[in-house]
Amino acid sequence: MSTDYDGPILEIDNLSISFFTRLREIPAVMDFSCSVQPGEAMGLVGESGCGKSTVALGVMQDLGVNGRIVGGTIKFKGRDLNTMSSEELRKIRGRDIAMIYQEPMASLNPAMKIGKQLMEVPMIHEGVSEEEAYKRALEVVTDVRLPDPERMLKSFPHQLSGGQQQRIVIAMALMSKPSLLILDEPTTALDVTVEAAVVKLVKDLGKKYGTSMLFISHNLGLVLETCDRLCVMYSGEAVETGSIQDVFDKMQHPYTQALFRSIPLPGADKNARPLIAIPGNFPLPHERPPGCNFGPRCGYFEEGRCNAKDIPMFDVAGDDRHATRCIKFEEIDWDAPPVAAGGQINTEPGDVVLKIDNLKKYYEVAASALFGGDKKVVKANETLSFEARESETLAIVGESGCGKSTLAKVLMGLETATDGTILIDNREVQSTEIQARETNTVSNVQMVFQNPFDTLNPSMTVGRQIIRALEIFGVGDTEEERHERMLKLLDLVKLPRAFADRMPRQLSGGQKQRVGIARAFAGEAKIVVADEPVSALDVSVQAAVTDLLMEIQRENKTTLLFISHDLSIVRYLSDRVMVMYLGHVVELGTTDEVFSPPYHPYTEALLSAVPIADTSVEKEHIVLEGDIPSAMNPPKGCPFQTRCRWKDRVAGGLCEKEVPPIRTSSTGHQIKCHLSEDVLSEMTPVIKIAAE
Amino acid sequence: MEPMTTFEIITKVFLQFVPVWGALIATFTLSIVYKRKLGLYGKLFDSTIGMIGFALVMFWVFTAIFADMIITHDPIQVVSGMKNKVPGTPVPPGTQGFTHYLFGGDNLARDVFSRMVMGAREVLKIAPAATLFAFMVGIVLGLPAGYFGGKLDTVLSFLANLVLAFPVILLFYLLVTPEIVATGIPVYMAAVLFLFPILFLVVLWNSRYFTQPQKRNIYVALTVLIGGWLYIGLAFDADPLGVVSMPPNVLIVFVSVVFVNSPTVFRIVRGIVLDIQTRDYVAAAQTRGEGPWYIMLWEILPNARGPLIVDFCLRIGYTTILLGTLGFFGLGVSPESPDWGSTINQGRRLLSVYVHPALPPALALMSLVLGLNLLADGLREESMKD
Repeated sequence: MSTDYDGPILEIDNLSISFFTRLREIPAVMDFSCSVQPGEAMGLVGESGCGKSTVALGVMQDLGVNGRIVGGTIKFKGRDLNTMSSEELRKIRGRDIAMIYQEPMASLNPAMKIGKQLMEVPMIHEGVSEEEAYKRALEVVTDVRLPDPERMLKSFPHQLSGGQQQRIVIAMALMSKPSLLILDEPTTALDVTVEAAVVKLVKDLGKKYGTSMLFISHNLGLVLETCDRLCVMYSGEAVETGSIQDVFDKMQHPYTQALFRSIPLPGADKNARPLIAIPGNFPLPHERPPGCNFGPRCGYFEEGRCNAKDIPMFDVAGDDRHATRCIKFEEIDWDAPPVAAGGQINTEPGDVVLKIDNLKKYYEVAASALFGGDKKVVKANETLSFEARESETLAIVGESGCGKSTLAKVLMGLETATDGTILIDNREVQSTEIQARETNTVSNVQMVFQNPFDTLNPSMTVGRQIIRALEIFGVGDTEEERHERMLKLLDLVKLPRAFADRMPRQLSGGQKQRVGIARAFAGEAKIVVADEPVSALDVSVQAAVTDLLMEIQRENKTTLLFISHDLSIVRYLSDRVMVMYLGHVVELGTTDEVFSPPYHPYTEALLSAVPIADTSVEKEHIVLEGDIPSAMNPPKGCPFQTRCRWKDRVAGGLCEKEVPPIRTSSTGHQIKCHLSEDVLSEMTPVIKIAAE
Repeated sequence: MEPMTTFEIITKVFLQFVPVWGALIATFTLSIVYKRKLGLYGKLFDSTIGMIGFALVMFWVFTAIFADMIITHDPIQVVSGMKNKVPGTPVPPGTQGFTHYLFGGDNLARDVFSRMVMGAREVLKIAPAATLFAFMVGIVLGLPAGYFGGKLDTVLSFLANLVLAFPVILLFYLLVTPEIVATGIPVYMAAVLFLFPILFLVVLWNSRYFTQPQKRNIYVALTVLIGGWLYIGLAFDADPLGVVSMPPNVLIVFVSVVFVNSPTVFRIVRGIVLDIQTRDYVAAAQTRGEGPWYIMLWEILPNARGPLIVDFCLRIGYTTILLGTLGFFGLGVSPESPDWGSTINQGRRLLSVYVHPALPPALALMSLVLGLNLLADGLREESMKD
């Protein structure tokens, strides 16, 4: 290609993309402009459905049968991609523009060895010899910091973990040294600590290869860590674009501001900085309002001006390429403090309602299903002991495979415990399956599920599903009573009563999650297990659902067991935090205790891995090596010893020999670690807010 | 009288089908006008393939319904002198019905056209009902096999594979052998297979309404009463009122078709259950203490309906062919019966001399099965779109 080209790598000008369905044309992206300079990383941020992935697919000219570019140009190194033949496009894709997708397993051919897949890239695009290709593959795999590169090249994708697969995908994208790398939510499917490592890798490689990047994400914190510039999208339009510093600190669009105010930051608690949910819902593509798309949800909306005509982008004077799509940006006082919705009254925790003592859950896995063979034991939960009080929020934090879902299952009675006791209201239930439990016990312990699209039965109306729960819990004597109660529950979760007759597919994700909450509270539940209730929701809806959950909790004095991997939200809403790793509780204490030193080394790493969308926060970067060990084959001694950076501070290799004892401080803060008091007290806070 | 020309024959056939055309036009107009309110059925009218398939299927359905108005002669009436006569031959004066044999006469001097029309009724009386019974059996066994897994699944899957591995035609020959019939095996099989729909409905009502015993009792009592009445009448031909009965030979055909079709349905249902049971709404039902049958019948089954409806259409097609095959071998139907399989078989003997007696039933069978396949294709395609 033209190596002496020195203009922007990617120039998108007034791009409009529409999808054509049998009913109508659906505009997915409208009047979108941006440019990426050589070596620059551009972030594309927005909620799901805002069109950010469509832009990426537009650049790749891969919109499927229904999608079409209806206006504007996409120039790659000065050449218009729209007018290229498919022959020319094939040459550019994979060689000059590479793309990394969200699901690593879906991007790799499961029937082909890693090495072969990597070698294919230069062999096809540059026609190099096999030896040369192998040499390059080895080099890139070393670059993405995978252990034992030669063995990696000989393995099949399924033999690698999710994090390793994503590294291979990145390696594949870098094989032909592209000028532009498009990353579409590259770390969403990964655990936080693995995500942190991959993000760091992408950043380093970008510098090393001088590749320009288009980084698509819904996570503002991630974009802050990886990109130089960003573009915020809302409902198909770019609403604000500029450098990270300008947009994060001097935002000029109400949506950007609202977005920042609706995400919890681990640097601050709920009293200092309450969350402010964005009212209303994301407009459907064919129901966009006239004028400003954000108008109906905007606090600065002005009738007759904001909805009069389409709003163009305005340049913000004095900043570097900073533009906003707000007609009133010069009039709004951006520094005005948010109007808080009134302080929350903290309810005091009451009596102990749930007590778990030495709980163990082992699964037996036969090595071969047919011939028996050696039985392997998976220790999903190992000696868990904790208690939860009335109207308290206990957060259970940990990455996938740490045993938090197993704990929930045992608690609900879907599985029975191997050993230990569970006391709910002073009744032992550890070995009673849900079928054998009394209706009262069942309705007392309920669950809110993670995936809003899966939590409701798609072929039953919303009202019917809530009434069914009421029937099962024996609430109400007649059909009419239950119907009335169901409408009250809808009121409780702030949904219009008309939703009772709707089918789940007519509801948005946040609304479905509200129905799930209403269903869980149908039998006046005393203990609610919330399994990542907001992690699958869009940022702007998360705050509203979180607040709702807390409000109901306060009113009903419910005990909330909040399972999450998102430390920001945990800090925001929980009273006490329990950190789990490979079936063990490694740290347990009040929120303040857990979020400040002394930490358990794993908690420390976890805190450092959380991307924080605040430029004033300084973090210590602790990148954990490797992946979480398999629960089938846990390491000897301390479960965390394989990745711990403090290991050498314990004398005599104790970490590799013995499971550490639980150390309880005078205030009840528990840490399961061999480190001595002195070393623990040396720890410094991971998150610091810079003095302004 | 003069023989009819080809044009006259076509015009006359077209006119005979007027009730069918009317019904088809009415169905399509109403469906297309209200297609946005009709769910998956309405979406069918967005797909050309689906519409063609639906039209072919409905053509034969309406033909079966209006058969008495369409036929020109009694399908088993023998008119002397009309043996193997070509299409458009005039009948001797004084014969009942129309003046000509539209599609000619067969080797027993019966009207081919009327037999083809009446054949639709024979086929459509058995095929959908037999398929429905096969689905009941497959669903009732497939749901627990997929949901509980383990030994139950192993045993049931093994049995299903056993039935599938047995040659179908041989099975039919065995079942209609007089010695086997005398042992009562077909009746016992009917006794078992026909029990499944009643079982299905009773479990369905009980799991749903056990919290409201009064309502539950009414539904279950009604099901047992009506179901039991039909059951006694169909399986044992012992209806005390003497209304419900099934001729023994039809019963054998019915039982065989249900027996060979249900294992396939079993496997489909089992597979879908394995997929759907991992969903959160199933977990939600479990955590509120629902019984396994409620979860299977009310949480899982309704969400498996898409693939099942498509398979249902395809399976009616297979069953129709199977019925044709049975008729072709002269199994289980009376020699007089105008069903398409038998008619084709009778026409086959003189096929090299007279093509016309075998052709109309063959084309009819082909177009119905084609229609069912296209309909299934259209449904599958449309159900996957947004």
